Amino acid sequence: MRPDPSSDIEARAIDWVIRQRDPAFSDWDGFADWLAEDPVHAKAYDAIASLDADLGAVPPASSPEVDWDEVPARRRVPRRAWLGGAVAAALVAAVSLSTFNLLGDANRIETVAGEHRTVTLPDGSKIEINGASVVTLEEDRPRFARLEQGEAMFHVMHRDDDPFVVEAGSAEIVDLGTAFNVVRRSAQTSIAVSEGVVAYNPRRENVRVVAGQELDAADGAAPKVRNIEPANVGGWRTGLLVYNGTPLTDVADDLRRTAGMDVRVAAEARDVSFRGALIIAQDRARTIADLAALSGTRATRQGSGWVLTR
Amino acid sequence: MGARTGSQRTAFLTKRSMTQARDRTDAAQGIEGVLLANRERILRFLALRGAGDAAEDLFQDLWVRLSARSTGPVADPLAYVMRAANNLMLDRYRSARQSELRDKAWGESAADQKPSAESALISREQLALVEQTIAATGERPARIFRRFRVDGVQQRDIAAEMGVSLSTVEADLRKVYAALAALRRQFDAP
Repeated sequence: MRPDPSSDIEARAIDWVIRQRDPAFSDWDGFADWLAEDPVHAKAYDAIASLDADLGAVPPASSPEVDWDEVPARRRVPRRAWLGGAVAAALVAAVSLSTFNLLGDANRIETVAGEHRTVTLPDGSKIEINGASVVTLEEDRPRFARLEQGEAMFHVMHRDDDPFVVEAGSAEIVDLGTAFNVVRRSAQTSIAVSEGVVAYNPRRENVRVVAGQELDAADGAAPKVRNIEPANVGGWRTGLLVYNGTPLTDVADDLRRTAGMDVRVAAEARDVSFRGALIIAQDRARTIADLAALSGTRATRQGSGWVLTR
Repeated sequence: MGARTGSQRTAFLTKRSMTQARDRTDAAQGIEGVLLANRERILRFLALRGAGDAAEDLFQDLWVRLSARSTGPVADPLAYVMRAANNLMLDRYRSARQSELRDKAWGESAADQKPSAESALISREQLALVEQTIAATGERPARIFRRFRVDGVQQRDIAAEMGVSLSTVEADLRKVYAALAALRRQFDAP
């Protein structure tokens, strides 16, 4: 190893990383003080902590399990390409049984605001439907569902030769092995994927949306894809709504669907974007108070609902 | 934001998800309390960890992360929160770095997903180098490192198990980490 003037700092960083691997480590103030001594310390620590995270890929037994035959000889490791493994979070949904034969038409499932319903299809696929939503099925197309309005979480039994198709507006969402949540607003579709992959409009834009991504598309506009936390996909099902820069009007829309709450957003607050988590509980006033506090707005009771103003 | 009150807050839905939501709410309340009571301390820590002007926003991110997580009872809530803050900053560092590396390596925008098969090959090759480097530090350091980092055994248990002192365990661990840091510098060298 070449002599390195920063090796002393690196040694300290290594000590912190080693100590912090102990689940009982609690000297975070001491660690903060060390970071405060010199900005270089944080950089050295990041490098070592990141290295340590990468070491999670080291296999348990000291066996040379790397099969070189599988590595194409011509492939060179890019010098700068030290890539840590990505962490995938899987989402496990609670199972409930339901039927969908109200209102005569078995193939049209309509929920009122605040009502949640789960539909299990003959192939084992499951659709969890949020309130104020309409899902239609077609008898002669067992691998098809249409989200006319509202929001639903799809858990699809994947078949390579017979993909499951969800239609929302004019958009077609094709499952490639998946759990995903779809919101159909007045002229906009959002798809958030918690497991697997879906293809958005495979015969037009053909955008692949993978677990941990959300696609938003206004009707007629190009879709946008951004990264999200897969564990928060379909949070309406457990009463936990997590946002990261979402227009307040969409949040109000979600509260109406999910909990039957009547929340209006005053014109001057429509541009407010909201970051935070809302817990939907029996005390709805609490949820509104949280929303107002976290978005910097004021909530005023009006009739059976609330109005958010700036 | 005022403190949440009462433990009678319940969700709608089925009985089963009602219970889940209530448990989560209670856990979230405890953590929120810790976050609010230690706001300044956490902000300082985030800033020192490289958050700069974004410390306030990251505090919010941390809040979102911890509220979304369903936790059981936590022995030391402050340490738990500080660790989460530390992990948040590490995740940010790692994802920023990955996009940077990806840009350099592939000359494409960070939004392009690299094929997973490709990254698996890269990590397999690098893994072999990591294993060689660990082995090259000597039999005892290699074994101690493996017990510590791969098997997750605590240092004092490793010391007892191998009949060496705690400071030998510490020294060997430092040695292996330093060797791996040097290996990594070779990849990072301009």
